[in-house]
Amino acid sequence: MILIFYYSLLRYNVFEPSQFILFDNYLKLFSDKTFWQTFINSLIYLLVTPILIIISLILALAVREATSGAKFFRTIYFLPVVTPIVIVGIIWRWIFSEDTGLMNYLLSLLSLPKIFWLTDYPTNIISVMLVTIWRGFGYYLVIFLAGLAVIPKGIEDASRLDGASYFQQAYYILIPNLKPTITLIFVISSTAAIKLFIELYILIPGAPMDNKTIMLYLYRHAFERFDLGYGSAIGVVLFLLTLGFSYVNVKMMERS
Amino acid sequence: MKIKFSRFAVYLFLIFAAIVSVFPFIWLLSTSFKGAEEIFSFPPTLIPNDFVFENYSGVWKAISFEKYFVNSLIISVSTVVLTIFLSSLAGFALARFHFRGRKIIFLIILATIMIPQEVIIVPLYTIILKLKLADTLIGVILPFAVTGFSIFMMRQAYLSIPKEIEEAGIMDGCSYLKFWWKVMMPMTKPTIATLTIFTFIVTWGDFLWPLIVLKSPENYTLQVGLSYMIGTFINNYRFVAAGAVLATIPVIIVFLLMQKYFERGIFTGAAKG
Repeated sequence: MILIFYYSLLRYNVFEPSQFILFDNYLKLFSDKTFWQTFINSLIYLLVTPILIIISLILALAVREATSGAKFFRTIYFLPVVTPIVIVGIIWRWIFSEDTGLMNYLLSLLSLPKIFWLTDYPTNIISVMLVTIWRGFGYYLVIFLAGLAVIPKGIEDASRLDGASYFQQAYYILIPNLKPTITLIFVISSTAAIKLFIELYILIPGAPMDNKTIMLYLYRHAFERFDLGYGSAIGVVLFLLTLGFSYVNVKMMERS
Repeated sequence: MKIKFSRFAVYLFLIFAAIVSVFPFIWLLSTSFKGAEEIFSFPPTLIPNDFVFENYSGVWKAISFEKYFVNSLIISVSTVVLTIFLSSLAGFALARFHFRGRKIIFLIILATIMIPQEVIIVPLYTIILKLKLADTLIGVILPFAVTGFSIFMMRQAYLSIPKEIEEAGIMDGCSYLKFWWKVMMPMTKPTIATLTIFTFIVTWGDFLWPLIVLKSPENYTLQVGLSYMIGTFINNYRFVAAGAVLATIPVIIVFLLMQKYFERGIFTGAAKG
């Protein structure tokens, strides 16, 4: 960790001896238009977090209502989670493909025009977001179920006797009690979103850097151009962002 | 009547989500059995007209699939064994020994959980370079052979064992190491099971780190090999699909066999915050 701060102050690549250049890497970074574009893309990509929270919460509530088969559904929803991301990318790249893909076939059934899922910007970011949501919701669902399990049954029973409808119950009792779980999922999912790499690497390898996220920019500089100093500077920015999420986490915990 | 309707709606919703979850896998499986023309057929067919197995033998020949599979297996199994062994020792020491700086060491270990792998990947790579381990399987295994998370889990497991057992063991005159191996370690079996499956699935699917470390094709893992394969075989999607199916089978089997332990791991992981 300390090393990365140190490296970020060096002109450091594998071809020549390293040199101390103080903040030059950062100055270069802050005036680097492509970097800012990847930064913005990463922020756009963060939208997966609220969507994932909503979907997995609703599904968790539904699984909880299911009297039989709850375990079966949980297992099914979990399959995408354990599947290696590279495989997930392979599957979806085929589904999103322009001419032979399943998505465009479905659109044609509804006589809608073709969408270039993986080549148009920002459609391609949205496609990648869809994949992230598909792969992630089963994981957060299990965390939600764990959070739901510790809410005392008594509160619910009491409110049911008072004549609360299911939705009132969910809104006034379950969700406020789930606050710590929601915060936790917010942090896990945002941290995962900000360091997104593999999905993009597999799904849109050919797209220009402007369509990609911070982590791919880091990879490009550190491991394709071997500019480890510049790569480290990007790494520091990434670190500060994840630290920011942890800070938000702590703050929200304190308030509740 | 109203209750019946809402129950129906709940199941409808659950089934819909289940289809969305599973369908892409079925599609992959179906593609892997299709013939050369059929994958481009329009409208697409879900069940192949005639099942073709040549894609599986094809992918076996087209890339050194066997080699990649073995590499992935070596990396995953060694990582699991090392993780269990090292974090058991560290967890035992942190839970049971009283020494100076124990708290600080534990805090530092906890702090490492908060830092994503991606952030420290550049310094990690330079360390591996300096150790002359770049492009070796050991270079892939070593940095993740023990993690803050695994030490934390093992420590919790040892903490939950009652003190009396330890005292009894010491009275019987066991050496500490023997006592740990014979008495304490077997008592943490459920946690070891959780950690084993967790580590296996994560390592098997890991991509970024092997991609950076491994440069020569004979050292690739399955994930890295497949990722290069989509680059070169983009028009031969059937082979890629067959390869993807083969690469997914191990994790699905491990997951289905030990699901109970896997979900427990998520709970502990979630609880740590």
